[in-house]
Amino acid sequence: MSTLPQLIEEDIERLDYELRELLEKTDASTALIIDKGGFLITSQGDSRQFDLTTIAALASGAYMANQTIANLVHETNFNSVYQQGEKFSMFVLCIDDYCMLTVIFKASLSVGAIKYFSIPAAQHIALQLKIAQERDPGAGLDLSELNLANTSDLFKRKA
Amino acid sequence: MAIINQATKELQVKIVYYGPAMGGKTTNLVQVHDHVQTAAGNKGKLVSLATSSDRTLFFDFLPIEAMSIKGFKTKFQLYTVPGQVIYNTTRQLVLRGVDGIVFVADSQYEKMAENVESFTNMEENLKTLKLNLADIPYVLQYNKRDLPNVAPTEYLEFLLHNREVQVPSFCSTAHRCEGVFETLNMITRMLLNKFIRQGTPQYA
Repeated sequence: MSTLPQLIEEDIERLDYELRELLEKTDASTALIIDKGGFLITSQGDSRQFDLTTIAALASGAYMANQTIANLVHETNFNSVYQQGEKFSMFVLCIDDYCMLTVIFKASLSVGAIKYFSIPAAQHIALQLKIAQERDPGAGLDLSELNLANTSDLFKRKA
Repeated sequence: MAIINQATKELQVKIVYYGPAMGGKTTNLVQVHDHVQTAAGNKGKLVSLATSSDRTLFFDFLPIEAMSIKGFKTKFQLYTVPGQVIYNTTRQLVLRGVDGIVFVADSQYEKMAENVESFTNMEENLKTLKLNLADIPYVLQYNKRDLPNVAPTEYLEFLLHNREVQVPSFCSTAHRCEGVFETLNMITRMLLNKFIRQGTPQYA
């Protein structure tokens, strides 16, 4: 299975910048970059009124399910999902093989504008991910600060 | 695969509970959700995408954070797959990006064929994702040990564990929360040890 590149602070800053720019241009509420396995990588905007961890998991599942449906009806050009709501809507756009851009916006906003500005944002994000990949494609993992002492019970049952 | 965010010192790991229909996968997550001891704010909501008769339709999802790991904020995302045979495409989707697996077997004699079929199906689905079970930490959980018609654990071991690489197995009665935390702690320890040993999961 393909791997995501190792993202350092500089990468995350760039990704966050792109998300902020997108929010500014569209007036959307929240923008997230999520991994296709369901992990939240980074987000900008209002993170208080939404459970972003759960949204990331569900948006990833919804996107992948829709992609599978598209394949079943022989649709080869599938790269986005739009969920229309009455209060908030959501637009999910493929960034590359591993990641997706998710934008949550007030239903009163135009989805056309969200799509229009999301496409270049996704391209910029993809470019930064590519830079990260090329920087050190075989980079090792530094978990030296991970302390596994006293972890006989990582999760404890309530008494 | 796991997401390591070096910028924010965050580690995210995906564990999937796999097994035959009605074997107790969702019950495991419900019990973890109900009984896990956490610091405020690090236990997420249990999300169930289920049918009207409470059968898992897409997946159940529970994000939790281990308290005792220092240095990294370590988040575990627990998923279940739908056990019914017809939902195989969904199982493949949920397995995407999996780091560790808990195979929940139903100990009742009449469920043995379903257990074996589900285990084989899991191996096949991993292959479609270019993954090999031998490379993924997994544990076996023999559930429903409180029922009268259960097969001996030796028989379950023979059916599901008759292979070169031996993995930990646990007896459980998930609805009473027996064996649930033992299983979860083992798979998380196996995962973290694998990361430290290999040092090459995926990154963010």
